[in-house]
Amino acid sequence: MSDPNDTGPAPFDVRPVKRRIWQRLSLVWLVPLVALAISLWAAWQSYADRGTLITISFENAAGITAGETTIKYRDVTVGEVEDLEFSEGLTVVLVHARIDKIVAPFLDDDAQFWVVRPDVSVRGITGLETVLSGVFIEGNWDTEADVAQTQFTGLEQPNLTRANQRGTRVVLRADDGGSIAAGAPILHKGIEVGYLEKPELSFNGDQVLVSAFVESPYDRRITSSTRFWDTSGFSVSFGAGGVSLDVSSLASVIEGGIAFDTVVSGGRPIDDGHRFDIFPSEQAARESLFTDPNAEVLEVAVLFEQSVSGLSEGAEVRFQGIRIGEVSSLNAIVVGDAANAQVRLQAVLSIEPSRLGMAGNATAEDALALLSDFVTRGLRARMVTGNILAGTLFVELVEVPDALPAIVTLTSGDFPVIPTTESEISDVAATAEGLLARINALPVEELMDGAIDLMDSFERLANDEYTRATPAALVALLDESRALINSEDIQAIPGDLRNVIGDLDSLVSEANEVGLITDIDAAVATAGQAATNIEIATRNLPQITADIEALTTRANELELEALVASATASLNAIDGFLGTDDAVAFPAEANAALATMRALLDEVREGGAVANVNAALASANEAARAVEDAVSTLPALAARASELVDQTEAVVNSYSERSRFSAETLATLRDIQEASDAISSLARTIERNPNSLLIGR
Amino acid sequence: MGSAGQSHGLITARDAGLVACQQCGQVHPLHARVCKRCEGRLQSRDTESLQKVWAWLIAGMIAYIPANIYPMLLTSTLVERSESTIIGGVVELFEHGSWGIAAIVFAASVMIPVGKFIAIMYLAISVQRHSSLNRHERHKAYEVVEFIGRWSMIDVFVVAILSALVQLDTIATVNPGVAAMSFALSVIFTMLSAQAFDSRLIWDADRTQQ
Repeated sequence: MSDPNDTGPAPFDVRPVKRRIWQRLSLVWLVPLVALAISLWAAWQSYADRGTLITISFENAAGITAGETTIKYRDVTVGEVEDLEFSEGLTVVLVHARIDKIVAPFLDDDAQFWVVRPDVSVRGITGLETVLSGVFIEGNWDTEADVAQTQFTGLEQPNLTRANQRGTRVVLRADDGGSIAAGAPILHKGIEVGYLEKPELSFNGDQVLVSAFVESPYDRRITSSTRFWDTSGFSVSFGAGGVSLDVSSLASVIEGGIAFDTVVSGGRPIDDGHRFDIFPSEQAARESLFTDPNAEVLEVAVLFEQSVSGLSEGAEVRFQGIRIGEVSSLNAIVVGDAANAQVRLQAVLSIEPSRLGMAGNATAEDALALLSDFVTRGLRARMVTGNILAGTLFVELVEVPDALPAIVTLTSGDFPVIPTTESEISDVAATAEGLLARINALPVEELMDGAIDLMDSFERLANDEYTRATPAALVALLDESRALINSEDIQAIPGDLRNVIGDLDSLVSEANEVGLITDIDAAVATAGQAATNIEIATRNLPQITADIEALTTRANELELEALVASATASLNAIDGFLGTDDAVAFPAEANAALATMRALLDEVREGGAVANVNAALASANEAARAVEDAVSTLPALAARASELVDQTEAVVNSYSERSRFSAETLATLRDIQEASDAISSLARTIERNPNSLLIGR
Repeated sequence: MGSAGQSHGLITARDAGLVACQQCGQVHPLHARVCKRCEGRLQSRDTESLQKVWAWLIAGMIAYIPANIYPMLLTSTLVERSESTIIGGVVELFEHGSWGIAAIVFAASVMIPVGKFIAIMYLAISVQRHSSLNRHERHKAYEVVEFIGRWSMIDVFVVAILSALVQLDTIATVNPGVAAMSFALSVIFTMLSAQAFDSRLIWDADRTQQ
């Protein structure tokens, strides 16, 4: 192909400048670079944060799922189960899990793992959240990083104690684990300060060991002299101090529990894992405070001839009232050779030298030397009743002042023998017998006789004819008094007097007529005689009054209250009263008084039938004067009668019985009063008008 | 194969000393830099096209790795909390007998993205190496990649809709996982990669081959 412009310069081979490779690079390359960087960074970070793979072995893996089950520490997820497999020989399940890098260094040999499952117990419901979410593995370790480990053995039971929980862990020993349950509280002065772990049998199988955790700061209360005791339920103890019932809190009744206390100071602080014994009761624990289980003990034997029933192993050994040890064993041994072999009951006493007042480091030999010294001075062993009802005995070492010389012998058995003295056993039977003997010795029959006598005395008093006759006699007296007052004669006295006056009047007139004035003097003398008689009769009345007064006094002494208050004294008083002559004579005196009255009446009657009136008329004026004098004594008579009435009324009131007797007496007394009133008015009439005696009006 | 036969007589705009605007199609002289009509930038060939393709493709592939490793969905119900990756979900669906859904998920989440990677890589390599393969097939492959690209997002949409709908507090909650984000990024990167590919390079490759 020819070209007219062919002569021109050859076209340039125009090629762009080859640019450097970084100049040619597009900015877009940044995108994959950034993406790569981010990816690599994310990958590295996820690798770096991947966590540590640990392996936990479990007996069974119930509920554990690879990729789902988490591992929690204080309820925060710190890891996840990645894989599950069996160990060689299918012995355990190996759980491979990844633990966060942050916590991995803390997984040292104290780390513990267990599976949290729903659990319903007395202490409450735990792990309820796992019902929905599935189980998780709870881990527990302290906050100190030690040598990290990756192989762990899972616990079959949840561990109650957080590893970082501050407190002290002690091991408790008990003979019987029946009342100990995992989780049971530990009480100190009633406050829950810790709890028990799962009890386990000791290696040789004769004890139950349980790990107990006491929280801080209460664990400071635990020293080597602390004692733990069982507070499960309630206990009834029946010892030398009597019956005591000990009921702890309701929670510990249900769950069981352990309490502790430190009564004496001076104990050493303890380390974790210190071993303590669990005592069956608080009392036993407190008693054991005074015994150091590690102290050296002196074992001596005591041989008793009589039965040791009531003495038991563990019984106290007291010296001057202080416990110095206990009976460690009881058995029968044969002493003497074949011919005169005797069976003795041997009690081995464990005596603590420190309890004998010896220094803390005193050996058994020192104590034995001391005891031997005491024995030569009269120390003897004997059994003493501790509790009468229970019949328990304890051994007492007592100094007998006049003991036969004896020494501690080493002849029989393995132990030195302390001589014995007569035991002071007062068992129930003996005591009851003594009580019955004392009851028998009581003068019951004499007492009964005395009582019977007392009753007889009362009966006799009641049946005494004088006592019985007293009311009757009084009734008769009153009847007669009434009869006296109502009698025609008494009624007739005024009439008679009027007749006398009339007679005197006629006599005077007759004398005036006849002129026998001289005879009047004699008549007056006779009238004076009559007046004197009346006066005598009147003088008798105070005697009766005095008698009745005495009667009243003595009747007053018959108060029933006093009778009841001092039966014997009253009896004596009544006896004395009955024995007095006055009382005996009373009815007689009353009769005599009546007789006197009757005589008075007779005399009055006789006075009314004066035959020798004519002689009297001789001294009519004198007679009138004498009559006037006599009449002047009538008010006194009336007053005395009134007094008699009052006193008799008092007597009646002292009897205070609405009997026919008192009613009649009252009626009679009223009649007497009326009679005395009538006499009184008569006397006043005569006083007012003496002439009426003479003029007959 | 008519088209193949005609290609001998076919000339490109570049051959004719022209350049076409990519936006409006206006043809300009080769030296023109700015479109007279739309003021769009005129470029006869994007010299950095392949670089961009490769860059975006690699970024997409990097993003695709965590999309498969990390969980796509975080499903937590009252009793259970589960995380499922793409492949894990497909296997699970398959085990439950939902073969159809498993196939759809597998196609959308695995086959399409991976297919796109392979297609773009093939195009880029063939253009660079001036491969002798049928150029028509390359055009077809490019169109398929363009078409398929948008459907790759189906997984991301599913996750977005689920996590928006299922938010019932403690009873059931669905949250997108890390993989969802990675997957979305991967899809976006591959789409950008496909777009960065200047299809005109295929023509040049054809021509240089001849």
